[in-house]
Amino acid sequence: MTELERALVALGGELDFPPAPDLVPAVRARLERRRFGRPLVFAVALLLIAFGIAMAVPEARSAILRFLHIGAVTVERVETLPAALERPLVAGLGPALPRRLAEQRAQVPIVLPQLAGPAPTRYYAQPGLIATLLRYRGKPVLLAELPNDQLGIGKKIAAPETKVEPVQIGRFGIWLTGGKHVLIWQLSTGETRQIETRLAGNVLIWLVGDRTFRLEGDLAKSQMLALAREITR
Amino acid sequence: MYEATVVGRPLDESDLIQRAKRGDKHAYEELVHAYQGIAFRTAYVIAGNGADAEEAAQDGFVKAWRALGRFRTGAPFRPWLLQIVANEARNRRRSAGRRMQLAVRAAAQEPSGGAAPSPEATLLSGELRQRLVAAVNNLSEDQRTVISLRYFVGLSEQETAEALGLPTGTVKSRTARALEQLRESYD
Repeated sequence: MTELERALVALGGELDFPPAPDLVPAVRARLERRRFGRPLVFAVALLLIAFGIAMAVPEARSAILRFLHIGAVTVERVETLPAALERPLVAGLGPALPRRLAEQRAQVPIVLPQLAGPAPTRYYAQPGLIATLLRYRGKPVLLAELPNDQLGIGKKIAAPETKVEPVQIGRFGIWLTGGKHVLIWQLSTGETRQIETRLAGNVLIWLVGDRTFRLEGDLAKSQMLALAREITR
Repeated sequence: MYEATVVGRPLDESDLIQRAKRGDKHAYEELVHAYQGIAFRTAYVIAGNGADAEEAAQDGFVKAWRALGRFRTGAPFRPWLLQIVANEARNRRRSAGRRMQLAVRAAAQEPSGGAAPSPEATLLSGELRQRLVAAVNNLSEDQRTVISLRYFVGLSEQETAEALGLPTGTVKSRTARALEQLRESYD
């Protein structure tokens, strides 16, 4: 080994690498989860079939589908929507933050990879939820990321006119479009905050790994799916 | 802060591998514990940021567990594992424009007080250390990745080649060219 090579080895011990995390608990959890993997896939497949049947029959739609849990989000179909106001996409999520601060505050690292176009600059954080305001095809789109271990942190209340259909993305996905629907964030403090009513907000919710993704904006289904596939490619 | 720990092969590694292949998760956790440091650093050098490196290392360990049945008994475990982790890290490298910038830890830049400097520290005093870091940062991404894996992470030439999916000859020539360029700053 030359002197230069020895100097490089010495330099390696002085570099400011990030601390190596303890991966054992996370790997252990994933190996344990895998034990239930196949039954889960089977259950999701059954759910998908049942969901498709329910959506195909209008009477069944209202009679069968009242609740659907998808990761951290619950969709509930009702005859009459609760009173709610029209609000901006990011209403209720607090001030815009830089990415690092948002991740600290939410304690949820962002999965979002670098996408084509200008990088997002506005991030929003609530306990157990992190959101990024994106621009896609010139339109604002809100991406929310939620760890799956928070059943019902996000609740979507849909009127009969709202179309809810399964889509092929991640482990499971649904596309909501048309009619009014109300979004409620159930914060981890137990406080319930109703944020907004949407007249034409299209929403895609899907599961990848242990995370629920939710995209909202004025995009067509194909555009939203294309964006979603870029996000969790 | 990064801790430069020496990762040796535990004496009972082959036993742990055999137990893990039979489905013993506790044995596999011991392997994860032993190799998580080097797996993370390998992933960090390739992916370029800590969050992606952590995910890549974690996914790599999970995939390696699933692939253990195909692991050849008696083969070295570390290069096999690092190849899986590095592949995950390469999948997460998000854009060519996003480069990791190496920096020296603040503590390493301060004088060591009354204590006698180590031989390694003597090699890298003051301005020379900074020149070398700047020179490494100025290398092309391919060259810097090879140098980082070889000298900062401590992989062998063969392990580096396997991690990057390159022929050993390419790693050798890339290393030689990078060293030549660094020598200009070092001398």
